[in-house]
Amino acid sequence: MGIQIMVQTISAFLAVVCFGLLLEMPKRYLLDAGVVGGAAWLVYLLTAQWTGSNIMAAFASTLVVACISHVFARLFKAPVTVFLVAGILPAVPGASIYRCVFYVIRSGSSLATFYFVETLQIAGAIAIAIFIMDSIFRLIQDNEKRWKKSRPDGNSGTPG
Amino acid sequence: MNTSLREKTEPDGVNDKLLVETAVEAGEIMLVSGAEIYRVEDTVGRILSLAPGRKSENVALGTSLIVTLDRPGDESLTIMRRIRNRSTNLNRVCQVNEVSRRLCAGEMSFKEAQKSLREIKQGIQYHSRTRAVGYIGVSAFFALLLGGTWREGLGAGLSGVLLAAVCLLTAKARLNDFCINALGAFAVGVTALAIETWVMPSMNGNAVITGAIMPLVPGVTFTTSIRDILNGDYASGTNRMMEALVVALSVAVGIGTAMSMFSNLTGG
Repeated sequence: MGIQIMVQTISAFLAVVCFGLLLEMPKRYLLDAGVVGGAAWLVYLLTAQWTGSNIMAAFASTLVVACISHVFARLFKAPVTVFLVAGILPAVPGASIYRCVFYVIRSGSSLATFYFVETLQIAGAIAIAIFIMDSIFRLIQDNEKRWKKSRPDGNSGTPG
Repeated sequence: MNTSLREKTEPDGVNDKLLVETAVEAGEIMLVSGAEIYRVEDTVGRILSLAPGRKSENVALGTSLIVTLDRPGDESLTIMRRIRNRSTNLNRVCQVNEVSRRLCAGEMSFKEAQKSLREIKQGIQYHSRTRAVGYIGVSAFFALLLGGTWREGLGAGLSGVLLAAVCLLTAKARLNDFCINALGAFAVGVTALAIETWVMPSMNGNAVITGAIMPLVPGVTFTTSIRDILNGDYASGTNRMMEALVVALSVAVGIGTAMSMFSNLTGG
């Protein structure tokens, strides 16, 4: 099991780096994005094993991805999207959408509905996780500004 | 003319037209490159706010961008752009972000900004050989990532070679996106099923197909559409969702054709 998780995590790293070539990821961020992708899939696998739900896994892994992306964006002075898109790539419900439409064509309507709902659930979980992290980081940013404003000379403010 | 006089008297050559054009240009590049709606509107709004004391408004929909600047005592200035052929290009999003940041910080003039925006539009980072490596790598590693063994990885890699060839050749022939995706998916389906039927029966053909179509399926587009909807951008959100469904349809058509072809061949 441990070996399989390792193989899959390394695959996720390489898959995201390769996907970066297709998405015209800036060259200097390719490896960083790969790290985000690997971390995302590691968290996904562990959560999926622990809770047995791939929606929960997508949610947890995206929370981690969004957090790392915001930190990386600040460190490297790049837009958050660059790392965010890379990180959610492994968890995103691409295969589910394809299967949904595939069964619509093949007139397997119950399977089509199943995969459509699954797509909505996973995409929704990812979107909400990103939303939560964005809000947290916006709060931190606003408070940072206010804090800096309240103590312009760097000494006053915070008593004690 | 009142307008031209007024434009000439603006400091350092910034006139309203140049400002709105720069804003529209930046917004268009971001929309074409697949940036989120709120990010596009934010960037365009920041550039427009460089016109002091005027009211400006910008609306980004998935397929169009409208920017207008109200000028007191003068006609308002509006530019609209129709957005076609969207595809994710993170490098352009990055570069436009940098240009708008420097423009707003006063480190760059509008003339310079327009010049670099034009360069951003032209620039290509990776050549087709590198992109081919990308297609093959994504196919192979996604098959492994989704729990495949080395057999599925190998099969998906081989399907990826065909996929890369089809996608890059048809893109050169300027075929439309639906046909490119359908043909690419068809190539993946045929390769995977051929390997499963005649070369390696122990390989799971379905797992190979799921891994190998990953460069085509619109997972990120669908997720971005849900994010747009959560942000209250309902029009562009549903827009993007439809886009994702159509792309998925093209892939399903390609795979479906390959599958029915094989079930006829093998007398299924």
